[in-house]
This record gives sequence, structure tokens and C-alpha cells, in this order.
Amino acid sequence: MVLGVAKSRLAVERSNWRKDRPFGFVAKPANAPNGEVDLFTWHCKIPGPAGTCWEGGLFPLDMTFTENYPTAPPCCYFPAKFYHPNVYPTGLVCLSILNAEKSWKPGMTVKQVLLGIQELLKEPNNGDPAQQDAWEDIDMNPREYERKVKLQAQRYKA
Amino acid sequence: MTPAVEASGPGWPQVIWSEALQQRVRTAKVLAVGAGGIGCELLKTLALSGFENIEVVDMDTIETSNLNRQFLFRKRHVGQSKAKVAAEAVKRFRPSCNINAMQANIKEPQYNVSWFKGFDLVLNGLDNLEARRHVNRLCLAAEIPLVESGTAAYLGQVSVHIKGKFECFECQPKATPKTFPVCTIRNTPDKPIHCIVWAKDLLFQRLFGRADVVTDLDEAAEKAEEGAEGDAAAAAEQEASFFVRHPEETSEAYAERIFHRVFCFDIERVIGMTDLWKTRKPPVPLKVEALRPAASAAASANGSSHTNGKQAAAMDVSACRSMGLRDSHAAWSSAQSAQVFLKAIQLFLDLRADEVGAAVFDKDDALAVEFVAAASNLRSTCYSIPPLSLFELKGMAGNIVHAIATTNAIVAGLIAVEATKLLAKMPAACRATHLRSSVHTGRSGRERVVGPSMLEPPNPKCPVCGTAQLTLEIDTAKTTFKEFLDKVVRRKLAVSQPTIISDNFMYEEGPDLDEDEVADNAQFLPRPLAALPSGGIKDSSLVKVSDQSQELELMLIVSHQEQWDEEKDPEGFRLGGTAPKGRADAPVAAAAAGPSSSAAAGDDEDDIVEVSEEALEQTKPGLISKRKRATPEEDQPGPGKRLKAAADDVEVLE
Repeated sequence: MVLGVAKSRLAVERSNWRKDRPFGFVAKPANAPNGEVDLFTWHCKIPGPAGTCWEGGLFPLDMTFTENYPTAPPCCYFPAKFYHPNVYPTGLVCLSILNAEKSWKPGMTVKQVLLGIQELLKEPNNGDPAQQDAWEDIDMNPREYERKVKLQAQRYKA
Repeated sequence: MTPAVEASGPGWPQVIWSEALQQRVRTAKVLAVGAGGIGCELLKTLALSGFENIEVVDMDTIETSNLNRQFLFRKRHVGQSKAKVAAEAVKRFRPSCNINAMQANIKEPQYNVSWFKGFDLVLNGLDNLEARRHVNRLCLAAEIPLVESGTAAYLGQVSVHIKGKFECFECQPKATPKTFPVCTIRNTPDKPIHCIVWAKDLLFQRLFGRADVVTDLDEAAEKAEEGAEGDAAAAAEQEASFFVRHPEETSEAYAERIFHRVFCFDIERVIGMTDLWKTRKPPVPLKVEALRPAASAAASANGSSHTNGKQAAAMDVSACRSMGLRDSHAAWSSAQSAQVFLKAIQLFLDLRADEVGAAVFDKDDALAVEFVAAASNLRSTCYSIPPLSLFELKGMAGNIVHAIATTNAIVAGLIAVEATKLLAKMPAACRATHLRSSVHTGRSGRERVVGPSMLEPPNPKCPVCGTAQLTLEIDTAKTTFKEFLDKVVRRKLAVSQPTIISDNFMYEEGPDLDEDEVADNAQFLPRPLAALPSGGIKDSSLVKVSDQSQELELMLIVSHQEQWDEEKDPEGFRLGGTAPKGRADAPVAAAAAGPSSSAAAGDDEDDIVEVSEEALEQTKPGLISKRKRATPEEDQPGPGKRLKAAADDVEVLE
């Protein structure tokens, strides 16, 4: 009924995003076929950072919020089995700014989160593995890692 | 500190004995939300204080564990509606009291703004944050005073919320239940709660719960890599199959296989992730053989309790009882935890086989709690985290806040006191009251357990009550969304790039939108308001209007009105309340709007819309200087140890 804290803030986030969206990114609350909008689920797209093996890809990411937002951070999901050391096989992104016990701050904006995840693409954190595949490759077989990343960028071509 | 009193009448509390107030109490219509711990006490106190028109809403049914404190209920009532049984019990000792009971969720749509407007007061005795937030918002929209309450063990609080006068329930951020990052739970726990979450949400779920539930906690993760292009679901299945009992496998052998897997094999695998242990101490695997007691002792203890008599009811099966572990306040040794773990799995498979694959963790399920406690303690041992007692673990696993009847009774009494002050029209006499767990010496030097403090004015930055609110009467069946936008939003409210949100409907406008978005939004324009998505904009709808091109935001409370007098209201709608002023250069020319639709103050035909500076400020949170907090009468108590996240409120939940 009346907008709660979480929903009000999400409406503000949407408004601010419209005023100041970083180039190449997409972020929009989900639309259902019946015309309803779900402010708690955003469909986003993150461009692969230029000058890296991620370049050329436009990676889809879903951001899900709860009623406890912004006290609690959103959950961010790439597609299942997304290849990156800090992404769980379900697609969940493991990142300190998305962790309430680490660096999440209620003031953090959708824009900052998306830019943070873009940064994570080129700067993975191998101290916090979330999947074995990319985590092993990056240490033991960097060339294979780069090949798979480029393949993935092709798959999600902008 | 004398409260404001009308003319020459008596002040608070003398006014209680005035016939006028007693009459007011008798006739007032109050809504009591919740008929549980606080609710039972409250209904009794209200009835005995002279209240005669009470509506009570509670969706819950009575459980055995309620009976020790929810004194209106008896054993024979278990399973019946709390609201109904409580109402009947009160009517028995106070037949003059009209209590209308409803077994329903207060969040259901029939309990809308106009329904709330039918009450003089709303009194909350709720046990969850979501419902509290909801009632707060409806009271704000309906402009009905709210008395809010909560208790947890010896702590309690009562506060009064009046729109525009005092803080609303959400003016100060609330502590929300903590969630834990997946990496910590899976690989690097360092607190008992991390192990409890692992035992409850991952291990219990995997052994006894539905097999198709895959969470981020699942290590199917690790397996997915085996066929890089392989199917994640297949990998998950393969992973899950390990936890399925083989045919012919005894429950004992199964239990030991699981033990070895989760406390030895998995731990060794995590130790292998060397990057994790650069800054942390690696865990230590546990061997089941090392923790096995003299075999005969366990066997004989087990033989005595389960073989004689009928098979125990599912909820009564207990591993601890069969092992003679009676003191729930003592922490088990690792060997005892191991035995409880193995025994609990065996009992589950042997006596409750039909539940395996569908079980859901329940804090009142002794065996489930024992299993989670044992598993959690064993994992704690691996990670050098101190073990906890069954009692402590049960409390944490079940998010149990221990309830005390006396606290509820005091809090209910305080609610009735604040309600009476409100009916006496003495809001200045209202207080927020905190109940402490120990005697507190205030600034005055007086020792007290119950400490009143002044109520704070609303937080202008509050996202819930900081928005200006207007009423809109309009024919929602005939008026199209486009007409609404043109006539009300643009012309009357001077919004140039409107964003409209009503429940799950959102409309946006602006040059930044791409073509698809513009088309998506345009499809709504010809529809009547009531036919918009998400149930439509109709009677009692709350519509948020904001302007993408300027700092302006307000809430419209809609009422459906079919009959319009062309003479009196040529526009076919009526706006009421305090509207914020639009920007002077708003794109719609005032001239085009005609004489009766200018938003300017002083227009006599239009005096229902008054423009105030405060309302304007309300919509521009950025301009408000940091507000001054009123000095509380006494300093606030130190926050309780498990409730410390709230600012200076003890945020407690029954």
C-alpha cells in the first residue's frame, strides 16, 4: 500500500539513476507482462571494462532487494554458471560492498554497486573463491582463464 | 511538566475521574492489532478500564506454548483463533464490552485507509516488524493515532505516534534481522551463529528437507566445475545424491557416512583452499572413530527408552533423552555432540522416515533442534569456536525471544494509559516508555525500572511520514490516466515530469527514457484509473507522485466519487490537504487552468488547497537542517545485548 522505507528508497534510486547513468550500463526495475513493476528486482547490464579480456561483453545482472534494504544490501546475480572466481555457480556475486558485515553501507547507490561489480570483473579477488573453475584457472592456467573470459564476452556481446 | 489542558478542566491524571472522559472511553472505537502476549493483557486491561468498543485482529491460532502467559487461553482452545477466543473470554467477565474479533492478517487489502479511519485509536501488540510497518503506514494515511508496543523478556516499550506531531514508527531506522554472507557460512565461520545457520539452513535441509531446494549454500558449486560446460542442475543432483541413503544401508552406517563427509572430508577440502587461511586459522577435521564412546554404554541407554510402549509421537522423539543428557543448560563435549548427531539422524530415519525429504526446521521439534545443535557444535569444534548449550542453541536457531507475562502486563497497562491520554485530547501528556531489565537511576536520582521520555517530533527526512499527503476525490472508473495526469498532476500540482507509483504500478516520463520505455508507459494513458495494473487506482489507493525534473514528492489518498456537481466542481475532482507549491516556471501556464484550478494560495474557490511553506520544505529533504532532538526526561538505557543495533530505542518484538 503506502511505500515503505525500502520501496521509497528504490524509487529514489531509480530516479537518481535516470538522472545520472554511467555510459553503457542498464538498470531498470523488472516489468511483468501484466504491466506491473517490481521495484525489488532490477534487470541490469554491465559493460566489460575496456582494455581487458572482458571488453565487448554486456553482462546481464539481476539485482534483488528485500524489505530490509537499505540496511541489508541487494543480492546480485549474473546468469547461473557465470565464469568468474567470485561468482557462485548460482550466479550470486561475492563482493565486500555487497556484504553487510564488510563494506556495505546503506548510503551506497545502485550506480556504485554496478561500478563496483564492473571493477570486480577485471580485478577478481582470489582470496574469496566462490567457484572452483575460474578460481583454479586463474592461478594455475591464466591463459585458459583469459580464453574462457573472452569466450564469455563473445557470448554476451553488446 | 504540566501537560496542556483545555481551558479550566482538570489535568492529567486527574482528568481520569471526569465523567466526560469516562464517557469518551466508553464510546471510543479502538482497534487492537494482535491478540497474543501483549494482546491478551491489553484486551483485559481495556475492558476493565471502561473501553466498550474494541475490534481485534489476529491471524494466529493458539499453540500450547502460548498458554503459560496468554492467560485468556486454556488447553482446550489450542488450534482455535486467538482473536476469537480472547474476545469471548473477555466478554465473559465484562459482558458490556463489545469486542469484534477477526481472524485475519492485518495486511489484507480490506483493511484499507477508509477502514482505519473508522477508529479513534489503533493499539499495536504485534510480534513482527513487517506488520508494525504496515499498520504505521495505514495510521499515517488515515491520520489515526497509533500506540505501538513491544516486549522481549524483561525489556519493553510503548510509544505514541501521531502524524505531523510525533515521530512515526519508521522515523528512526529499525534493527533488521541479520543475514550472513554465504562465504562465511560455507567456508570461514567464526561465530556460533554461523555454524547454526549452516546446520539449520544447509545440513538439516539437505538431509531431511526437500531435495529440489538448491541454495547458494549448496556446494554443488564446487562440483559444477567437473564438466566445465556441464549442467549445473546435473552437478547439483550428483551432489545431492551423496546425501541419499543407499538401499540396505543401516541408519547407523548412514549417520556415520554423513558425519565423515561434513566434518572430515568437507573440512579437509576447505583446508585445501590455501588462500583462505593466509590470515585465518584453518579448521581441524573430526574423526568419528575418535569420538565414539564405549559402544555398550550408548546401546544400553538407547534400549531403555524407545522399545517399550507405543511409538512416541514425532515431536516427542529425542536423542538427548535416549542418551540421558538431561541438562539443557550444559554445553556438550565434542564426543557428546557426536553421539547426539549420530543418534538424531538414526532416530529421524528410523522413527520419522515419512518426513525425510519434506521436513522443515521447527524450533518446537525436539529432534530437529538436537540435530542442529549437535551439528552446529561439531562444526564449531572444527573451527575452534566455543560450543553452546542446547538451550542457547535452540534460542538462536529458532530466533526465540523469551517472553515474560509480567512484562506484557506492564506494557499493556501503559498502552491503556497512553490511549486514555489520547482520548482526553492531551497528546502533550503522552510519553514513550521503556521498561528496563534492572533498576536505572535517572538524572533526577530516582531509581526506576519504568522510564518515560518525551516523544520526538517527526523526522523530516523520514521516508515514510516525511512526504506531504493530499486527498483526491475523483471518479476512478471514468477518469482516464491521461486525464488524471493532465488535470490533476500537471495542472493542479504543477508536476512537469511525473513519476507515479501506486502499489506495483509505476509510470515514468522524461527525455532520458528510451523508446521502449516511452512506449511501455504510453500504453497506460487511455486506461481508466481503476483499470491500471496492480489492482488499479481506486477508492483508498495511495498514489505517490514525484517530479523527475525537480525535488517534489507527495502522496495522494484517493477516494472514488461518482456524483459531481458541474456547477460546484467543474473539473470533476477535488483535492484536499496541504499541497506543496510547484516550481514557478512549471510548464503548465496558470491561465490555461482557469480560475478555479490555480494552485496559488488565496484563491477563494480553491481554499481546500492551501500552500504552506512547511509542506514545501517537507518535499525538499535536502534543505532541512539537522533537526534538534528534544531532550528526553531521562537518559536512555543501555541497549540490551542482543538488541543493540537499534539507535536508542530498544527494538523488541513480542
